[in-house]
Amino acid sequence: MTREPTGPAGGARVSVVIVDDHGIFRSGLRATLGATIDVLGEASTVEEAEAVVRATEPDVVLLDVHLPGGRGGGGAEVILRCAASGAGSRFLALSVSDAAEDVVAVIRAGARGYVTKTISGPDITAAVHRVATGDAVFSPRLAGFVLDAFGTAAVAVDDELDRLSARELEVMRLIARGYTYRETAQELFISIKTVETHVSAVLRKLQLSSRHELTRWASERRLL
Amino acid sequence: MRPPLVRGRDGVIAGVCAGLAVHLGIAAGWIRLAMVLLTLASGAGVVLYGWLWLFVPTTADRADLDRRSGPASYMRDAGPAAVTPPGGRQVAGRDAGAGATAPGPPQSRPTPTQPGPGEPESWGERARRAGRREILFGAGLLIAAAVLLAQVLGVQVDWAFLVPVSVVVIGAALAWSQLDDARRARLVSQARAGRPGWGVRLGAGIVLVVAGVLVALSSSTSLSLTMTTLIAVVAVLAGVGLVLAPWGLKFWRDLESERASRVREAERAEIAAHLHDSVLQTLALIQNRADSETDVLRLARAQERELRRWLFADPSRDPGSLSERLRATAGEIEDLYGHPVSVVAVGDAALGPAEDALSQAAREAVLNAAKHADVAVSVYLEAGPDSIEVFVRDRGRGFDPDQVPADRAGIRDSIRSRMLRYGGSTELRTGPDGTEVHLRLPRTAAGTDRSGASGAGSGRDAG
Repeated sequence: MTREPTGPAGGARVSVVIVDDHGIFRSGLRATLGATIDVLGEASTVEEAEAVVRATEPDVVLLDVHLPGGRGGGGAEVILRCAASGAGSRFLALSVSDAAEDVVAVIRAGARGYVTKTISGPDITAAVHRVATGDAVFSPRLAGFVLDAFGTAAVAVDDELDRLSARELEVMRLIARGYTYRETAQELFISIKTVETHVSAVLRKLQLSSRHELTRWASERRLL
Repeated sequence: MRPPLVRGRDGVIAGVCAGLAVHLGIAAGWIRLAMVLLTLASGAGVVLYGWLWLFVPTTADRADLDRRSGPASYMRDAGPAAVTPPGGRQVAGRDAGAGATAPGPPQSRPTPTQPGPGEPESWGERARRAGRREILFGAGLLIAAAVLLAQVLGVQVDWAFLVPVSVVVIGAALAWSQLDDARRARLVSQARAGRPGWGVRLGAGIVLVVAGVLVALSSSTSLSLTMTTLIAVVAVLAGVGLVLAPWGLKFWRDLESERASRVREAERAEIAAHLHDSVLQTLALIQNRADSETDVLRLARAQERELRRWLFADPSRDPGSLSERLRATAGEIEDLYGHPVSVVAVGDAALGPAEDALSQAAREAVLNAAKHADVAVSVYLEAGPDSIEVFVRDRGRGFDPDQVPADRAGIRDSIRSRMLRYGGSTELRTGPDGTEVHLRLPRTAAGTDRSGASGAGSGRDAG
């Protein structure tokens, strides 16, 4: 996926908080994150995460989908709690789970992207920069997932929430095929910025769509 | 060695005589005759029979006992039959159907305690069991007739004593037979549990016993005194019930939680067994091969794939579908070459001859990528209403299709001609950024107008 060394933010420094209930994973992630990223803190439960995010106000929170504590809502609950308390941090979901209900729950709660834990160090660094600048991060799997949920037939109207526009479909297809944003831009003869705009629009649709069967669909379906 | 003393399910009343016969190695008829003779000796036979009925376990009890002990018992319990709550009565309606199909273990199993009643005898046994109620009824009538005959012949019959006592006996028998059945049904199968009459039988038994006792009392004393006694007894019973109710409730809850924990234990044992067979073995292998990075990677990927399938397997997905085939292929090639092959599927299709060819072509493409590009491969499947498309992409160095030696048939034969045969097309794009093979199969040409998508259909059709 995102293979570019850094996002448009170039050499800017980004502060993050790592939220995961596995200490080994937290320390491993801390080690693989690039030099442009400052880790402000770590948390392992929903309550700790909320406290740490409020205290440090990082640019990006790297969030595991499954977390102990709280009311059992995991990562999605952390996002909702932080949003309620007015923290301006952005969230990037990290998980080993590919279950559709987990993905949908955390994205609809407000995460700006979803990547699997097998992601490489440069990739996760690039993804953090991208999220920090307000863009969305889609892995091939998440893109395929969006296509599956919204259907592969385009609509003429761009701002309909329940369908993807023709251009958004093309972008999602290319990302699902394993193209990076840059390669997608080259393929479609558009700028990277435009690709980012499309991806953000898809993310917004995924979050806001009132598509009644989206949640049901997700809970019935599990991605392998 | 004698077979253990258990009550069979093939008895006339409760299987006591049949069980004794098996245990002692004597024909059941003799045992029954002895019981009748003993009964004539001021009812000793009845007492002995009742005592044995209470204390001799049924074959089902026994089988259950054997099943519970031993380390393998948990695993066997993990099957679908054991997951249904043991208290079959509460779920009678649901289990009535399931019980018929589920292999209720003890019922179908030939019990070691009954070597005798094999197939030839079973018809007779079954007929006798079916006629049990009639036999009991007939025996009751015969006894009544004998008593009447005795009266006609001039023997003084104490009706005021006999009637209440027989009513009490019938009531107790009703209630007890229900208890016996409940136990049996709970342990053996839910086949009988569909019968709704258990509450009625219990109630009728209690009413009969109470009425019999009352009649017996009232025959010796005046009616008003009986009523006063009755009220006093009811008040005392209510008081005792009030005191004992919390204890009873607590006992019931303990029983329930114990059952639940047993089910949980069985589940836990199943998970533990799975983890042991898969993850622990792989971890041991990884430790052995710690010096070989590719081996470690390959083992970890294979294990991850297996575990993921076990955890997140989509029951709605057809295991014989195109996407599942591609995933299996990806896993296989991943194991062969040690490069991760990820599959993203949108929609799905059933496997027909054309889809089969498509999956073969895709396999060849993935194989080429893994072999020559020597990097990670991503596979994307999109099954739309008009066509099925597969993209196989790698980020290798790319190659010049014209430079491929003529004897390498991979691309030409395995991929291109396969697709052409089913009206499909192949497109190859290669460059320094990697290679992408695009396979397209029109759905009409595939001759399969099956609505392929099991899950994606919901996404596409609605809205």
